Amino acid sequence: MNSSLKQRIWTNRHFYLFISPFFIIFGIFGLYPLIYSFVLSFMEWDGLTKPVYVGLSNFATLFHDPPFYRSLLNTIIIGLMYIPPMFFLAFIFAVILNNQAIRFRGIFRAAVFIPCITPMVVIALVFRLYYSEEQGLFNWLIELFCSFLPWGPAPPVIPWISSPEWSKPSLAILLVWRWTGYNMLMMLAGLQGISKDYYESAKIDGATWWQEMWHITLPLMRPMFIFCSIMSLLGTVYMFDEVFVMTNGGPGTSSTNFGLFLFNKSFTDFRFGYASAAAYVVASVVFIITLFILRWRKPMGEA
Amino acid sequence: MTRLKFGFFIGALIIGASGLGCGGSDRAVDSGDGRTHLEVWSWNVAGNCLLDANEDFKKEYPEIDSELIITSTMVQQRLMLSLISGVGAPDVTQYEAVDAPRYNISGRMLDLTEWAMKYKDDFSQAYWINCEYEGKVYAIPWDMGPCGVFYKRNIFEQYEIDPDAIDTWADYLAAGEKIYQLSNGKTKLMAASPGGMGWYFEILLQQAEGNVFDDQGRIALDSPATRKALDVLKTWLESDCIASVDVFGPEYMSSFKNDKIACYPLAVWLGSNIKGYAPETSGNWGVFRLPAIEPGGLRVAILGGSVLTIPAQTKHKEAAWKFVEFMMCNKTTQLNHYRNHDLFPALITTFDDPFFDEEDPFYANQKVRRLFATEIDKIHRLNRTKDWREANRYLGQNLSAWATTHRDNERFIKDTVAQMHSNLERELAPKAGKEAPIHE
Repeated sequence: MNSSLKQRIWTNRHFYLFISPFFIIFGIFGLYPLIYSFVLSFMEWDGLTKPVYVGLSNFATLFHDPPFYRSLLNTIIIGLMYIPPMFFLAFIFAVILNNQAIRFRGIFRAAVFIPCITPMVVIALVFRLYYSEEQGLFNWLIELFCSFLPWGPAPPVIPWISSPEWSKPSLAILLVWRWTGYNMLMMLAGLQGISKDYYESAKIDGATWWQEMWHITLPLMRPMFIFCSIMSLLGTVYMFDEVFVMTNGGPGTSSTNFGLFLFNKSFTDFRFGYASAAAYVVASVVFIITLFILRWRKPMGEA
Repeated sequence: MTRLKFGFFIGALIIGASGLGCGGSDRAVDSGDGRTHLEVWSWNVAGNCLLDANEDFKKEYPEIDSELIITSTMVQQRLMLSLISGVGAPDVTQYEAVDAPRYNISGRMLDLTEWAMKYKDDFSQAYWINCEYEGKVYAIPWDMGPCGVFYKRNIFEQYEIDPDAIDTWADYLAAGEKIYQLSNGKTKLMAASPGGMGWYFEILLQQAEGNVFDDQGRIALDSPATRKALDVLKTWLESDCIASVDVFGPEYMSSFKNDKIACYPLAVWLGSNIKGYAPETSGNWGVFRLPAIEPGGLRVAILGGSVLTIPAQTKHKEAAWKFVEFMMCNKTTQLNHYRNHDLFPALITTFDDPFFDEEDPFYANQKVRRLFATEIDKIHRLNRTKDWREANRYLGQNLSAWATTHRDNERFIKDTVAQMHSNLERELAPKAGKEAPIHE
């Protein structure tokens, strides 16, 4: 470090001091665990005894671990089941609740948003009752529906969270219900960020509502869609509480996603090194996918 | 700001930060009044037991000031972090009995052998064995969970079922089918969901005198006992009279107050849940002994239980031991824990006390305490290992897959054994299931 740089730092020391709390806190609670976790991925450690260096063994085991792949596959399936309908509903709600003609918009927005700030324990309690095979609301509604059908089919009792076939769709329904509000709010912010000038010009040119939507709203909402996609991708991969309290990954491992896999490896099996290796591998994949998604943000034709 | 002032500011920041870091450990040092300050971690019901007994402890040992910190059962993560970092652990802590083997080998718990060995024969050996490692004692058993079947008297009386006539699980299921038919499907026998088979399997495996691991830690699941346990579970799953309800889920808890479920086969500590959740049902409950798998078979099993122990980093070893000794090895204290909070003592010398023969009005004056203490010495203990939690997870996952899909015993055993063998790196027991049963 030359003396001129030192001099400049010393002269501006107050500014460095003012921004230092963030860097100190980030260093302790962000960077250090990140680095330590990376180091741990080369160790075998149960949290109580001394860590043992095992080189790339954790990574080698990981690539031959069927439960790891199963958890990733479950994560992808659950993501595909809930993200498209959630985005669709969130966008529809955002468009409707962005309409100035609707009264009490604030109340409706709050109503849609409330599920994502409701504690998961409460949600689990209610949804487990909804999904009950014995006297659950969903099965009762199916029974009611069947009773109205002229040919009178016997109502099926769906084992919502107690069968491998239904555990993932059941989680997807809950996730759509829980996270639509959050995405609606993001999309509402995106819609409100679009200048009204575009719509006024379009109206002058005689554009229909659908043409406005297709040629103005949707293209200009692309950055917000990308943001929501990245958040949903991260949320799906590291999702934990919904799965933990609803199905605990079961029956079998039919609904074990990556977040729960990581938790089990860390805090049930106490294999911190292995869990760190898995976390780093998946984080790398997520990072690459995020880069691809971000690339989509750039306007067409740009390199 | 001068250079001096700047340096002073940075110094103050560092001192402040280090003060924050040291805050936790200050609580463990001696109080200003010369008394030894002990920090004790325990959870909900058990914590309340210690709180109740703490005043008596302080009278007995006025020189010790013990402070109870009530945690959740997730205390393990917090405890582990403090043990790893070498600071912040309490002087005394509780953890679940199944976790004891993992902590015993860690070298981070205090060796209690010198003080505790004299009490060895006073405790249930099914629990004491979890507290020892290589002949040294690292924890003291607290409560145990002998099992029985809690039932609702009004239902049994209405459908003329005699609980004393239920000797085997087949009798039990027949009674359940009778109740189900006579109530037109309104009342089911018990709750058993595919995701919650673990507890029932553990009960049945003990009754079948099987084991997950043999006494050398080898995988012993491939045994006739496992098949017997699964066969019983299969009869339940195939019956209409079993409610697909999660144990301790919202429907399970609310069923204490209605007639949807007639029986609850579980450990003695379920009593405190029923009393707490449905106190108005007092007098309508009864308990009968676990039915056997076969006529004349074992009618006892245990579930749950916890231990009290001392982390090695404590600065007050003797005071901490006095606390553990007072709370765990003292008949009066242990009886009070049971009397007031339904924690069944692992200290078996308490069984001679007349309290065990008192009638309990909650169970229509039935002498349930004596019932739970019956044949405790015949309990077939399951060998716990340091990786029990992981093994138990594989068991639970494969049981739920077994229950919801194939119900093929051989496939369950093959999958579970293979998973344990590769992930836990444990050998298979050469004569799995044929070893001599281990009794107390």
